[in-house]
Amino acid sequence: MRIKRLVTLCLLMGLAAPSVLAHHVLGRPAYSLNEDSNTPPSMQVETQIGDYFVTYMVYPAFPKPNEPGRINLYATRIDNNEPLNAEVTFTVRDDSWFSDKEEKLGAQVIDDNVYRQGFMFREKGKYIITAEFTANGEPYRIDFPLQIGEASPIGPVGIAIGAIVLVLVGVNVFQRKRLQRLKTRDYHKQREG
Amino acid sequence: MADPLQQLVCKSPGIMAHPGLPTIWVEAVLLAMLLLAGWMLWRPQRAIVTSGGAQSLAGWPVIGPWMKQALTRPWTLVILRLITAAIFLLVIYAGLFGSPLAERNIATVLTWSLWWTGLIMSVYFVGSAWCAICPWDAIATWLVRRRLWGRGEETASLNLRVPRLIRNVWPAWWMFIGLTWLELGLGITTSPYMTAILALVILVLTTVSLAVFERKAFCRYFCSVGRTVGVYSELSPIALRPIDPDICARCKTLECYHGTETIEPCPTHLVMGRLKENTYCTSCGACTQSCPYQNIAWSARPTGEEAMHTARPHWDAAWFILGLVALTSFHGLSMLPGWEQWMRSLAHAIGDSGQLLWSFTIGMAGSLLVPAALFSLAVFVTWKLIGKALPYQRLFALLAIATLPLAFAYHLAHNINHMVREGKGASSVLLNPLGSGTLPMTEAEMHLRHLQPLVQQDILFALQAGLLVFGFWLAMRILRHRMVALMGTTVLNKTLLLPMLVFISSITLFNLWLLMQPMIMRM
Repeated sequence: MRIKRLVTLCLLMGLAAPSVLAHHVLGRPAYSLNEDSNTPPSMQVETQIGDYFVTYMVYPAFPKPNEPGRINLYATRIDNNEPLNAEVTFTVRDDSWFSDKEEKLGAQVIDDNVYRQGFMFREKGKYIITAEFTANGEPYRIDFPLQIGEASPIGPVGIAIGAIVLVLVGVNVFQRKRLQRLKTRDYHKQREG
Repeated sequence: MADPLQQLVCKSPGIMAHPGLPTIWVEAVLLAMLLLAGWMLWRPQRAIVTSGGAQSLAGWPVIGPWMKQALTRPWTLVILRLITAAIFLLVIYAGLFGSPLAERNIATVLTWSLWWTGLIMSVYFVGSAWCAICPWDAIATWLVRRRLWGRGEETASLNLRVPRLIRNVWPAWWMFIGLTWLELGLGITTSPYMTAILALVILVLTTVSLAVFERKAFCRYFCSVGRTVGVYSELSPIALRPIDPDICARCKTLECYHGTETIEPCPTHLVMGRLKENTYCTSCGACTQSCPYQNIAWSARPTGEEAMHTARPHWDAAWFILGLVALTSFHGLSMLPGWEQWMRSLAHAIGDSGQLLWSFTIGMAGSLLVPAALFSLAVFVTWKLIGKALPYQRLFALLAIATLPLAFAYHLAHNINHMVREGKGASSVLLNPLGSGTLPMTEAEMHLRHLQPLVQQDILFALQAGLLVFGFWLAMRILRHRMVALMGTTVLNKTLLLPMLVFISSITLFNLWLLMQPMIMRM
């Protein structure tokens, strides 16, 4: 039976999309700068899926709209470090709420142990890059987050302020009504007494 | 002496590890443990002296008058709270709007390399004082009570009682586990953005709790930071206590508990005259201001006095202590170079993919279960040896406190490494808190930074070794005092101590082994 392996890092790492430097746990984006070459800082995610250890690098580390960028994908077998030799298809989809736009970026074959896929986005936002390949008859699908431009941090602040205001106003209204009820009851008691 | 460059283990590009404790220090710790164990077993136990030895600092020259002024007026605390709240808001702002590079952003550097590390150290010197200036509580209090200090209106909160089911430290225990999972599994310590989100989430929880429940339920039952500080502060030589216990004994009005018209009641339902353990004291200063006799002040006492004699942890608090023992060691374990390989092997075996969170969760659960099982076994054997003189749960809770110094000592020894080696770039981060326009650290920069720690490496090793010995010594002392009190005799059968001695030694040896290993740099 063909088992479709799916790695959805986007949910967890999408939250951390404009983030993380990682050294000791797989699957976290890390940023690095090689002082010995002219390449710009890169963002790198290492992960494991099925029989393969996959490294995904994005140049530049913080891509901007209308700026060309590149994804380098390395996949090696966990048991013998043998590089994957298959066609890898890259697609992209908009990860923002209420959007299901999806587009194929291209299909790449191995070149010097690397699968290179270029990209250029016109709009800033949160995207999910999907790399798909088949190895030993099993389909593999790996999702990686990609932030183009700066993320909007207003969302978390807005949610936090909204939640606090909602609770404070709710408590205030409840307590006012309760006090009013108590006053009314006392008033009636006094009249009856 | 070894070449310092050789002492930094470079695993692969971008991954470096701090060197572990050298053999000479390991041997010194082992020798000290052997001598201390022998001394504890064969030294005659003197009659138990209860904690009458606490000495109020109010009577000390210079410190005393200043402290009285500071404790009885709200301004000192208000100013400190304003400062910590401002820093806290800066952390959130920098985390959300600043550079995503953890080592360049004040959100991560301040929170994880300086605050979280320094906080645990501060407990020894100032007890639970952090809770008094905690920005989460300060901001939540200002928002809900709508005033900077003093007693808020009763109508500002629903003042509901916390449901009985969660009127204990189990919520804090679960939150502590959750935070550890987020910290080490999801990696929020290396993400300014996630650090800011976590700070915001805790702020929302604190505010909601204050608006819904009576007094400060979040501080008492839910806050894992507060409970960690509270539990560790039982070992601290400093605590808020009555200056003259007789005044408290005669007091009928209990302003410390009820508050006054203008001053808040004790946020965690404590009566100072009956206070025997620091676990729930937040050092908020309400009692020092409300006491009509000005009878509450900071007191000095012997280290671990409270844990040895007066503390009576309940079942939930005992599990919190065990959680600390297990999770502090787990922090070290998850930063070993081999950890990732173990997780990868486990993931391959169970078919886990991606961030390997299932594998991590299993690893973390195992790290929690193994010490808990070993401790339960040690308590069970002791229980049999003492002829089941008291219920098993009671003995479990009584002996759990003897393991507290192990967690505290390793926590400090581990954190000090982070602070000394990773806090090096703090000054540049303070000058550019958002890390605007900065680039990731190059390997050369990492090497340079870590070759010049804040203190000399040999001093760091000595501190780590000393802390482990301190933890072992204090754990043994608490164990012996507890057993003497339990058996009601100073002539203690040494066999009764053996099961717990084996447990305490095992944890110390494991922590020593962890310190011997290279530790992967966090940032």
